Amino acid sequence: MQLIVRFSGWLALLGVSLVTLLSFYGLIGFSDQGPDWQLFSDSYFYSILSFSIQQAFLSALFSVLLAWPVARAIYYQPNLPGVKAFLSLCLLCFVMPTLVLITGLVALLGGNGLVTPAFELLLGEGWDIYGLGGILLAHTYLNMPFAIRIFYQQLNAIPDSSWQLASQLKLTPWQRFRIVEWSSLSGQALTLFGFIFVLCFNSFAIVLALGGGPQSTTLEVAIYQALKYDFNIPEALMLAWAQLLIAGGFFMLVSRLGKANWLSVDTASRLWTPNAKGYRGRMMQLTYLVAWVCLVLPMVALLVGVTDTDQSLKLAELLVPTVTSLGLGLFSATLGVVMAWVMLNPARELNRRGATRQQLVVEWIASHGLVAPAMVVSVGLFIFLLQHIDIDRWGMPVVALLNTFVVIPFAIQKLKPRLLQFDAQYYDLCRSLKVSGFALWKIQWPFVRPVFLTTFALLFVLAIGDVAIFSIFGNQSWQTLPWLIYGYAGSYRIAEASIASLLLLGICSLILWGFEKAQMEQKNV
Amino acid sequence: MFEVRKLEIERDGKTLKYDFKLKTGHVLAIQGLSGVGKSTLLSAVAGFVNSISGQILWEGQTLNGLSIDKRPVSYLFQQNNLFEHLSVMTNMTLGFGERPVNSDLLDQITDAAHELQVSDQLQKMPGALSGGQRQRIAIIRTMLRPEPLVLLDEPFAELDPQTRLLATGWVRKVAKKYKKTVLMVTHQSEDVEQVADSVLMLKQS
Repeated sequence: MQLIVRFSGWLALLGVSLVTLLSFYGLIGFSDQGPDWQLFSDSYFYSILSFSIQQAFLSALFSVLLAWPVARAIYYQPNLPGVKAFLSLCLLCFVMPTLVLITGLVALLGGNGLVTPAFELLLGEGWDIYGLGGILLAHTYLNMPFAIRIFYQQLNAIPDSSWQLASQLKLTPWQRFRIVEWSSLSGQALTLFGFIFVLCFNSFAIVLALGGGPQSTTLEVAIYQALKYDFNIPEALMLAWAQLLIAGGFFMLVSRLGKANWLSVDTASRLWTPNAKGYRGRMMQLTYLVAWVCLVLPMVALLVGVTDTDQSLKLAELLVPTVTSLGLGLFSATLGVVMAWVMLNPARELNRRGATRQQLVVEWIASHGLVAPAMVVSVGLFIFLLQHIDIDRWGMPVVALLNTFVVIPFAIQKLKPRLLQFDAQYYDLCRSLKVSGFALWKIQWPFVRPVFLTTFALLFVLAIGDVAIFSIFGNQSWQTLPWLIYGYAGSYRIAEASIASLLLLGICSLILWGFEKAQMEQKNV
Repeated sequence: MFEVRKLEIERDGKTLKYDFKLKTGHVLAIQGLSGVGKSTLLSAVAGFVNSISGQILWEGQTLNGLSIDKRPVSYLFQQNNLFEHLSVMTNMTLGFGERPVNSDLLDQITDAAHELQVSDQLQKMPGALSGGQRQRIAIIRTMLRPEPLVLLDEPFAELDPQTRLLATGWVRKVAKKYKKTVLMVTHQSEDVEQVADSVLMLKQS
């Protein structure tokens, strides 16, 4: 049994490596010329590169800077109403299918948007959601809530004894911030910044939908355009290399510099922590209120978009895409969780042996899908498979498998801390009790079950929202809900896009809510 | 004068009662069985625990209702007295107000560290120190802070007999020199003999 577990772990690692290797083989092997290195001397490349970095840098900066005060507000004002719901909303925003957000933002801030007049009053007549402003807005909306959750969890991890000591030593608010809060959050902030930078650098649907023209194009979208419209493989290959090296290099750099717990579930119990009062307290309450309004507004705009039309959408049109999306999500989430768990077994074994370097390599291989952009992998694999299979016939299974490949890193990040915690706490005990195989699994499962459930829900929702992979491999007879929304939005049928977006948002909310509820019930048993 | 007047604290379903006086500049050893409320009393004086009735008075002024940072108290916790991510020297200089650390204070710290045999540890991080060394560092800071009322929760528990003798002697010397009023929780009768002027024996109420 132990041998099977170990073997399957290495096999799974080989599997995910093969996906990337084959996709690059496809890109390299297609053209004898290889990448079009001449692009290096083309100003077009540098303008794309500079815009990609600029938008990712600003998106990450805004997300982190805006999240900090909100996280502080809910931490220092623990009695604020609806904090639990707010944190759930934050999770929903982070995993919200991008097309839903885009539709919401266009309904809110587009040409005839709900609050566009207010924005124009504030920023002048020049406001346009299409371009850098819209991209930054959408990226911040998706990632700031994620940063809020991370900062809040990190603040909760500050031990009571540190606050008591700070109070006892009569540290000033500035000293408390510098010695207690900043020390706890700064490492996290850097990693978080890097993580969001990579997510935004690799962002596809938002830039495609809100970019608004060649002056606002990123590497990811340029690869798509090079392949889909120009079928210029050397150019796509060169852009793909640039994308992988920059995103991968940057992520490795910040991973070495900082430390992240990501979405870890455990938070320390709070018996004695400072509570902001007076003017500071009121400012925090206001910050919290503003955050609520900002996060809810695009969803409200969807509702208004639906009622603001006389066109009607046949619900039957939504049925097949909905079932297809659910099927894809279910498949990717199930396989993704199993693959992540299996791939973490070699990493855990290396960790127990103290082989830290090898452990890091294994973890990097397991989660390298995060920095190997979906577009790059899709394009490479598309070219490779084109020569071997009938893509029209086998497109959907490939979409399902690639979706799994893309969501695996999220599962790795979420499951790893809990599994390593189990090893640290109970591995020696299990060994001394001579427990192994299924008996060990029975002990382990109740410990990790809540994290497995939330990971499953997270993967489900992430996989449902895919647009990038479907744009390469999908076909009209198996349309997914996000692709349907993209089609509506692309032809300015905003009301239909709003209805489909609301449906997708409702499904995502139900999945997250259902699993969160199941998790709570298990905790209370 | 320090006075605890008919103080009642609710703790784990029990009501703990305290009533005593202590002259300014005196050292009081607090003893009693585990769970009798020794540490709870110190926490209440420092402001971490609220009372249900009674008063805590310092020089005739009530401390009840004062926030932690307004109380004239320097407190040595049983554990977690040092910030692990700051150097020992930085830890030492915390708790002396907003002013920049002056040379007098640095001299005082260095002399005390030398006397308690931890002068070689000042530039290290707390994680590199033994339990006894950490405890002596925390004792020095707690005693040298300007607050007149000092609370020590089992200050010598981590020390070996020889260092314990050294530390108890130093604490008494500093307490008398700076006229500190000290409440010290301890289980050891030697600590009482070495440091205290009087003993308060707490019993289950």
